[in-house]
Amino acid sequence: MDTEGAFFQTVPSAQLLRSAAGLLVVVAIGLAGCASAVESGHNTALDSVDLTAMTDRMAASIAGSPEVQAAIQSEGKLRIVVEPVVNEMEAEVLPRGQAEAFTARVRFLLSQHAPDRFTWIMNRDAYYRLRQQELDVPLGPAPDAMNPRYALVARFRSLADESSQVRSDAYLCVYELSDLQTRTILWTDKYEVKKTAVKAFLD
Amino acid sequence: MCCLLLQMNLLQRKIFFPGSSVASCFARLRVRGSFPPFVRLPVVLCLVVLALLSGCAEDQVIDQAVSDYVIGDYANARNLLRPLADKTDENFVLNNCRLGSVDLADYHINDAQKDFLRAYEVINSVGVNNGGRTLGAIALDEEIKIWKGEPFERAMANFYLGLTYYIQQDYPNARGAFENALFKLRDYGEEGDKGDQYTQVESNFALGFLMLGKCYQRLDRPDDAQKMFDQAIQYRPELRELANFDVNQKSNVLLVIDFGYGPYKQKNVDGAIVGFAPTPAEAGPVPRPMIVVDGQTLDLEHMNRPPVDLLALAQDRRWQSIDTIRVVKSALGTGLIAAGAYEGLRQHSDPGLALGLIAAGVVLKATSQADVRQWEMLPRTTFILPVSLPPGTHDLAINFPAAVGMSQTWHGIVAPSTGEATYYFRMQRYDAGPYDWPPPALTLTGSTTAPAAN
Repeated sequence: MDTEGAFFQTVPSAQLLRSAAGLLVVVAIGLAGCASAVESGHNTALDSVDLTAMTDRMAASIAGSPEVQAAIQSEGKLRIVVEPVVNEMEAEVLPRGQAEAFTARVRFLLSQHAPDRFTWIMNRDAYYRLRQQELDVPLGPAPDAMNPRYALVARFRSLADESSQVRSDAYLCVYELSDLQTRTILWTDKYEVKKTAVKAFLD
Repeated sequence: MCCLLLQMNLLQRKIFFPGSSVASCFARLRVRGSFPPFVRLPVVLCLVVLALLSGCAEDQVIDQAVSDYVIGDYANARNLLRPLADKTDENFVLNNCRLGSVDLADYHINDAQKDFLRAYEVINSVGVNNGGRTLGAIALDEEIKIWKGEPFERAMANFYLGLTYYIQQDYPNARGAFENALFKLRDYGEEGDKGDQYTQVESNFALGFLMLGKCYQRLDRPDDAQKMFDQAIQYRPELRELANFDVNQKSNVLLVIDFGYGPYKQKNVDGAIVGFAPTPAEAGPVPRPMIVVDGQTLDLEHMNRPPVDLLALAQDRRWQSIDTIRVVKSALGTGLIAAGAYEGLRQHSDPGLALGLIAAGVVLKATSQADVRQWEMLPRTTFILPVSLPPGTHDLAINFPAAVGMSQTWHGIVAPSTGEATYYFRMQRYDAGPYDWPPPALTLTGSTTAPAAN
């Protein structure tokens, strides 16, 4: 005989216990759906969507620039060194990998779609970093022996604010293709985006 | 049975509820109500014991890692913490902060940067606790939520991230992290009079302004640097010598010294209200360091004042909505237990009702316990000492005359001829040295000196 069951059936307050236990079980089942610390949530940092949108636009802008096309017609393939993004953002960190990605993807898109118009030269830091790794592959001539005419640089700036309710970042990402000999800007374009993250109950 | 479970829950909450596998086992047991009691009870007991054992194991690992850190056995602490820091559970941020402290103290600068960066990304995110975790934190146990730390802990995570960048001379990113550190403490200042409280709160983190000023100097933005130094002095006039523009400009060696231990979280008797102890008054004044270089004591000209006291900063803890929920639950629980006791004692009482009320009260009390997870490695203060030494290698000793046994000696500290080399030291009572620079971790990475700026 199920004496425990009989006890609960005869005592009205046992319903309370059962309800509480049921609630606990429901909550416990709900917890099974808890996301990990890196799966849920979002922030106001530049993300992969910005990376794609920004670099697509910049690559198209460079390729379609009349000044760039005129330079190609007069000089042939442009010899360009690509630098990582300069972080001038307020209260934002941009790790090296990300800083390189935002200009590397522009280079990739241009070398894919216009291979006959640009020659890409590895920047000094990347060269020495690879050399430190003692790879068995030839790295080519030292940076000092190379003579890039142009530099593709990007500067990211932002205005940030944070309160107990919200964090917002307004970004201005400026890309420039500068002539290293004349110190003039051959091409420039910008990408702007504002991001807001509203804090939740436990943030 | 219910009371037993709840008492066990009180003892070991962290692992019991977050373990979704255990929770789902309970769910299955409940759904398959056809189990006879003689099967159900032992199974439940086994699950509880297993959950407790796994929880105990993880807590013991943390305790051991903290102990290793305190005695300066960083290698062992790192080995213990690394697997935990890789788990993206509710302690992801906390364990990465802990690991970052260990890596930084052992000069694994790149690893420390990765650790703090992982913590930074989650700390800066919103909505990480949405859904099941919020429900669980309210209904069951606050430790189900993903730990993001108190504002001062968030600020220190950003500070250390900035420090790793500063050591590596990545000044733009260091600046970004230090600015973010100041943001984390702004939260305090927004209840009530916004403007004044901003000032009051940010003044407690003059450390951030100091390092921001130094970053701007290295970024060749002297006006911004001066502004930051001025702000540090405005809020903390006693830091005038430390925040001197010329002293920082001329310095070729920056000593960053973590001293003592920060506050620890404690609950009241009821367990529902959390606070930090000790207070600065209870702990006494922060001892000041004395620096001896090549046998001669440096004249620090009052620069050795603590730019931050985390014991004081922690006292500003902001009351949060979940604190109110816990307190209300606890009060209700007390009321139900009292009502149950009264019901049980009165004549013609209904024992079932009394038991039900007491059990419900115990449930509420048990689930209203405060979250006392904390970053144990945090120091009480971080001294910033910009000094000018003749270029070359030096023997350096850091002494705290007012704190017996607190000293550290290093041979071969490099002072560059140009720029500034940054050295981080974690003062531990059982870790006096002498040590040779570069430490093994830097030797392994091929770096023999702290980097010198150009």
